[in-house]
Amino acid sequence: MATSLQTSTPQTPSAPFQPKLLLRLGELLIWIFLVGMALIEFAPISWIFATSLRAPSESFNLPPDFWPTSFRWDNYLAVIQSPQINFLLFFWNSLKIALLATLAQLLTCSMAGFSFARLRYPGRDTLFFVFLSSLMVPATVIMIPTFILIRSINLLDSHWALILPATTSAFGVFLLRQAFMGLPSELTDAARIDGANYWRIYWQIALPLVGPALSALGIFTFLAAWNNFLGPVLYLRSWDNYTFPIAIVMLNGYMGSGNRAHVLAAVMISIFPVLLFFLLAQRFVIRGIAVTGLKG
Amino acid sequence: MATVASHSASSSVSTKGWFAQRHTNRVQEIFAGYLFVLPAALSLFVFLVAPILAAFVLVFMRYDVLSPPEYVGLHNLNQLFADTRLREIYWNTVRFVVFATLFNNLLGLLLAMGVNRTMHAAVKYLLRTALFFPVLTTTASLALVWNFLLTQDRGVINFLLQQIGLEPVPWLSSSSWAMVSVVLFDVWRACGFLMVIYLAGLQAIPESLYEAASIDGANQFQRMRYITLPLLSPTAFFALIVSLIGAAQVFDNVWVLTGGGPADATRLIVLYIYEIGFKRFEMGYAAAVSLTLFLILIGLTLFQFRMSRRWVHYD
Repeated sequence: MATSLQTSTPQTPSAPFQPKLLLRLGELLIWIFLVGMALIEFAPISWIFATSLRAPSESFNLPPDFWPTSFRWDNYLAVIQSPQINFLLFFWNSLKIALLATLAQLLTCSMAGFSFARLRYPGRDTLFFVFLSSLMVPATVIMIPTFILIRSINLLDSHWALILPATTSAFGVFLLRQAFMGLPSELTDAARIDGANYWRIYWQIALPLVGPALSALGIFTFLAAWNNFLGPVLYLRSWDNYTFPIAIVMLNGYMGSGNRAHVLAAVMISIFPVLLFFLLAQRFVIRGIAVTGLKG
Repeated sequence: MATVASHSASSSVSTKGWFAQRHTNRVQEIFAGYLFVLPAALSLFVFLVAPILAAFVLVFMRYDVLSPPEYVGLHNLNQLFADTRLREIYWNTVRFVVFATLFNNLLGLLLAMGVNRTMHAAVKYLLRTALFFPVLTTTASLALVWNFLLTQDRGVINFLLQQIGLEPVPWLSSSSWAMVSVVLFDVWRACGFLMVIYLAGLQAIPESLYEAASIDGANQFQRMRYITLPLLSPTAFFALIVSLIGAAQVFDNVWVLTGGGPADATRLIVLYIYEIGFKRFEMGYAAAVSLTLFLILIGLTLFQFRMSRRWVHYD
């Protein structure tokens, strides 16, 4: 024992020399990879910003800018004040749809999740199985029948066509059920003995304790609704009802290829709220994905 | 004996009351259970279950939205086999899904491992923001921007390529390059999302395992091979399923970037279903095609679950 210890000790300072050099090299490669990827991911965004501030006539000019060289903020004004296209209206439409869908989902998913996790009644597990298996159904499969349904209840070209189908999600129900299952049962039992009804237990005791799951679901629902493209393409017909994503794509066709600076200014306007939100709430977004990702 | 009998007799009244109380409690619980689940169940039934059932009926119909549906038997299903475009479009979709899923997961995993290293908090924040940013932004707007960037003649990417002495590439106009562009765009847009999923998985691995391994003399590669990869396998399994199902349903990406062209080179299955339904107004056939996608995705997910027993380690 003693000899083996002694032979190994003097080797320690000299032996790791070569691996250390390799490690340094590896470290360098990792950093080149990370910074390179970060640049690749971010460069197009900074190009949008720089080009949206160029004079419209120069917006096609090369070399490209990745940092603003001129500051034509009037491009943004032109987009916002454009007489044909009511850009603030698109903003409001997107916000309204995303907020209503998010609120509805938070409510329906947390109520159903509470019911599945905390209450016992006949048929509960069968119903939960239906919810779970509907997770497997891709949205594409129901695209055609849903369109026929929406059309038959006269909701074409209405924002309700986008809000109503988004009022619940099997994923959200599953997520909230798991969160409620994680709460100690003594908590709700005690409240029950004290005479609280189920609504109060849900609303005042259980709901405040599943904050992370709620914020995760809220963030995802909002982003999905805000970025939804297929829905507006299918259901919305008139300019006044358009949401941001479809309006921007249509704006490109409408203003033609002659006014790239304006189109990019419009893209920037749609990015700003998300950027601001992410900078402030990065922790929540990433934890949200962590919460949901790990449940899989 | 007598004391027991008298005890039970005297308590029978209160037992009955207790039972009654218990009974109303139970009724209340059942009632509350149904009420709480009602809004979600109603919404799920109207906007998910009913449409799925309707899709199975629609397969046997000819319906152009304007005139009433007409029963056509197996016509739509036969058309599936006769449609040569469908074959090409599925082949496009398979290539897109395979490459996008592969690169998204590979890059996502590498980025997560990179970002998970110990580094200055501000650097980590900047890296995460830059890498995750495209995920948050509307895909349609970004596809529009990439359309500008990838233009052959005055596009930014080709300009940069020429600066370093390379030939300009017909990114969107050549049918072989267009698919490359679509995959590149998807990987650019989505690998940050997978990074965050893998990051969550990495952070859930207890630090103590690595410490124990270091004490036992495991080197970096051994720690990766015997700790990180096995413990990350449930995350990888989840990430693979999510990204595969997502990639199979890509729509706005190709709609804006290439419009499915040139010819059918980048037409993916969802764009095709959309066109059958809303350009050709063949709702029945569109439903038939979407059911094939449904069956394929279900089959793939089950296959992944089965395969997962070989490589996913749950502790």
